[in-house]
Amino acid sequence: MLSALIWIPVIGGIIIGFLPNQLAEKSRSLALVIGSIILAFTLAIGLQFDPNQSGLFLSESFSWLDQLGLTYYLGVDGLALPLIFINSFLTLIAIYTSSTKLARPRFYYALLLFLSAGTAGAFLAQNVLLFFLFYEVELIPLYFLIAIWGGTNRGYAATKFLLYTAISGALVLASFLGIVWLTGASSFDYDVLRSQVLPLSSQIILLLILLAGFAIKIPFFPFHTWLPDAHVEASTPISVLLAGVLLKLGTYGLLRFGIGLFPDAWNLLAPYLAIWAAVSALFGALAAIAQKDMKRVVAYSSIAHMAYILLAAAAATPLSLTAAVAQMISHGLISALLFLLVGVVGKKTGTRDVDTLRGLLNPERGLPIIGSLLILGVMASAGIPGMAGFISEFIVFRGSFSVFPIATLLCLVGTGLTAVYFLLMINRVFFGRLPLAFSNLPAVPWSDHVPAIVLAILIVTLGLQPNWLVRWSETQTASLSNFDTETLAEVRPASRSLLQPGQSIKESQWWRSL
Amino acid sequence: MGNLLVQTTWFIPFYGLIGAMLTLPWAMRLIRRTGPRPAAYINLLMSAIAFLHGSLVFILTWGKAPQQMVWHWLNVADLDLTLAMEISPVSLGALALVTSVSLVTLIYGLGYMEKDWSLARFFGLMGFFEAALSGIALSDSLLLSYGLLELLTLSTYLLVGFWYAQPLVVTAARDAFLTKRVGDIILLMGVVALSSYGVGLTFTEIGEWTETANLAPWSATLLGLALIAGPVGKCAQFPLNLWLDEAMEAPSPASLMRNSIVVTSGAYVLIKLHPIFELSPIVKEVLMAIGLVTAIGASFVAIAQIDLKRALSHSTSAYLGLVFVAVGLGRLDIALLLLLIHAIAKTLMFMSVGSIILTTNDQNITQMGGLWSKMPVTTISYIVGASGLVVLLPLGNFWVMGQWIQSFNSLPQWLLAFVLIINALSAINLTRVFRLVFLGEPQPKTRRAPEVNWPMAFPMVAVIIIALLAPLIPQRWQLWFAGTGSLATTAEVLQQPEMILLVLSGIVGVILGGTIALPRTWVRPVRSSSRFLQDFLAYDLYLDRLYRWSVVLMVELASKFSAWLDRYIIDGAVNLVGFGTLFSGQSLKYSASGQSQFYLLTILIGGALLLMLMINWSF
Repeated sequence: MLSALIWIPVIGGIIIGFLPNQLAEKSRSLALVIGSIILAFTLAIGLQFDPNQSGLFLSESFSWLDQLGLTYYLGVDGLALPLIFINSFLTLIAIYTSSTKLARPRFYYALLLFLSAGTAGAFLAQNVLLFFLFYEVELIPLYFLIAIWGGTNRGYAATKFLLYTAISGALVLASFLGIVWLTGASSFDYDVLRSQVLPLSSQIILLLILLAGFAIKIPFFPFHTWLPDAHVEASTPISVLLAGVLLKLGTYGLLRFGIGLFPDAWNLLAPYLAIWAAVSALFGALAAIAQKDMKRVVAYSSIAHMAYILLAAAAATPLSLTAAVAQMISHGLISALLFLLVGVVGKKTGTRDVDTLRGLLNPERGLPIIGSLLILGVMASAGIPGMAGFISEFIVFRGSFSVFPIATLLCLVGTGLTAVYFLLMINRVFFGRLPLAFSNLPAVPWSDHVPAIVLAILIVTLGLQPNWLVRWSETQTASLSNFDTETLAEVRPASRSLLQPGQSIKESQWWRSL
Repeated sequence: MGNLLVQTTWFIPFYGLIGAMLTLPWAMRLIRRTGPRPAAYINLLMSAIAFLHGSLVFILTWGKAPQQMVWHWLNVADLDLTLAMEISPVSLGALALVTSVSLVTLIYGLGYMEKDWSLARFFGLMGFFEAALSGIALSDSLLLSYGLLELLTLSTYLLVGFWYAQPLVVTAARDAFLTKRVGDIILLMGVVALSSYGVGLTFTEIGEWTETANLAPWSATLLGLALIAGPVGKCAQFPLNLWLDEAMEAPSPASLMRNSIVVTSGAYVLIKLHPIFELSPIVKEVLMAIGLVTAIGASFVAIAQIDLKRALSHSTSAYLGLVFVAVGLGRLDIALLLLLIHAIAKTLMFMSVGSIILTTNDQNITQMGGLWSKMPVTTISYIVGASGLVVLLPLGNFWVMGQWIQSFNSLPQWLLAFVLIINALSAINLTRVFRLVFLGEPQPKTRRAPEVNWPMAFPMVAVIIIALLAPLIPQRWQLWFAGTGSLATTAEVLQQPEMILLVLSGIVGVILGGTIALPRTWVRPVRSSSRFLQDFLAYDLYLDRLYRWSVVLMVELASKFSAWLDRYIIDGAVNLVGFGTLFSGQSLKYSASGQSQFYLLTILIGGALLLMLMINWSF
């Protein structure tokens, strides 16, 4: 069942890749069919999920290279399920929004499906070596997707992306190998590794290596410079996938492996991680204000919003960990929506420069519906209530405030700045008088609005009914945060005592904890 | 039937929302054949239903104990977020105010916006506005109120930006959103902190919590200050006051809503939060200081304005300042009364102002004059509204101030002086505007000025009647929070010696406003001292420049610095490493000469370096 999520797209991709020349036109329709099948499969898996039960609710295991400790061990739990859903959903949207007049369509759609397979595999893998394999495999199609169908400077961006993320992979692998060597564990299976006990000093070193690896992927300041370049050069569907799903591999790794495998070291480093999150959030927001390319604005906003996940993970309260997953989902949907719409603006006007564009909200000759949807997306990103962004950020802050009050307040300032850069963008691009240069824009057909409208409806629905956002992962993250309280007491006596559910913070410990 | 109506009170805010949603086909131009007017009719209908429903519930629950409706919105880990609504005389009174003002504004707006091509979008936004406002009126949960305040911020942005092709509108919408957002974010910090104390976020729970709360003084102060920041932004109080002035770029019906009930909603949330302010005396003092500074500053600034709407919007800030002082003193009953009277008076005055603007196509009061005989309803609206605000005739504010003064055993001297000053300044301003607009010779722009059409005139007449009867509202329905005493009788109010002083201050204001020289050609004084004073007041005490060179500059510099750091330092280092690798690879290829001695030397040097490194490391 789970393997299907990996192998349907792989087989589909191969079929599309080997379509005869005269059928090349059909590759898009075929890819759409396969994407729909994957999404249907994901939904079918989701239906079997019981939110009250922790642990894997579906798993598959075959031995593969036992000498290496590598098993083909897939499983899905409440942490991975929403991310897999986002992956399948955004893959379908990416296929749908891909241009109908692509060069080499067979190769393109095949790569897109391979990408989906690699990502799904990484979320499903229950063997860390298998995770690493998928984590690396997914780079190859993405590299080609940027390098072949990207913008003018695509070579530079694609190479930069590949180098950065390959280093990220190497660091992650080093950390995984380190655990096995130091503990002498018999396999790379996640459950086996979780039960190993490591001395604190080696935990810290391995965690630092792992953090550096995932920090490149997510990315956090100062490892982020590949992201804006990659987004600017990538075509719209690729940007949607990159921001919506692929970055989440990093935060997923933080939760699953960072907290899961090195709980003691995580607790020790948590205060520094919280500061890092605040710096990253503020940096991303401030840098976004100065950007002139709409896609760069959204890319830097992505850096700022991913930092909230680090804050929530650092706090590691049951609430904040659930919030981290909720923030991943809502950021996935919102940034996908933003990239989609910015892509439409770029396609119709031929530029994404905020200094050139003006007055696009014009009802007769502009892009009024795209503009209205973009205002909705921007407001969701800025955390206006009634949309998914607000509630996930609210529980991130609420869950982290009792542990790291100052870092949380700084991140809140970052939320305030979100409104600044996005509003400046909207004001420049959509308000004002439509200049003559843009007064004959091609009409946007209704079919181009469909994916954005679907995303917008999802964002609003989840914002009004947040239970559907958090119910997935609540039990699972609660078990993640179930640290061994005795070791915690030794590691960080002051702040951990604050973490008991329902207990209010004591005054005197506010500042000490940071 | 009655029971059903009461049980579905929660649905009242949704009428506005449904109305807004139903305008979408017209706003998105899916239906073009009918023109946009059906969208307006749908909204009017929904607003009327909301008004009827609210009124019926008000009558049905009168004299009954308050009820609360609670929903568990989100229950995750140790957090239980509940949304609550309250059915009490106060909340239903507020709801009645919101729905009635919305209803008359929508009728008025149909006349005002008649020729606008995006009438449907306007009514959609107004419906959204009404939904958020009626939600705040009923809300009994800080989280819900916070969310709705944010939605108000959003709809203010969209309504101020309604005519988005004009440059002034663009900056006005941006400033309105960002200024309010500053307040909202600080309020959110307060909400997060409060929730972290383990307090449920309904106002009832907060009230219970404050009775036993044991907070360190400074954290109680910080919490209180964070919580007042939201209302400060929403009520256009110093230092977040400038947006209201700029927001006057919006269509007049939207300005009307903003000056009457939107500012009121902010103060309403402030009143609901008052138990927390009791925890810290500093917060109450800050509240009063904000109110005092805003009231006096805005009153002076209003006098120097020549824009019709701005002269009145600064007066809104000033009266909301009075409300802040009242809340700081713990006089919630007076605060509520002030809000009610002010909302009705401002509704009426902005209707009058809107009519003038529509008829003359102008907002500059130095270009007007002689309108009294041409636009009688508009003139009467202005007079009734203004006399409701100024303590002079026995209309609205006369009785509110009387109540306030009567309730003190010994009135603080500063408060009396403050109220006298505000009253006199307000009287000067309103008389000045009246003289310029309605009296004197007709000017080119006002020479052919017919009275407005009936959709605008009818609601004006209706509100005139309401404003005249307004003093009776608090006597008929005592909209108190429990335990603040009952209303003083008319005789008790009239016996207060301070009332004579207040009326005198009103008379002095009217005489001053009626006699100061206002030559129309003399828009800017020649003498540099008075010129400086006028400019100082007319440009809002140069506050905008102060912000430009402080907060805005700081953010701008920080963002430039970040972008520079990003581009030249971080990315520069990355590119340097890349370049270094390529360059060394390129140069190494020239060293491949085939001479074995050279290779040996390279290996030796490399090995020695490695050895040194390892020795160093091991120590």
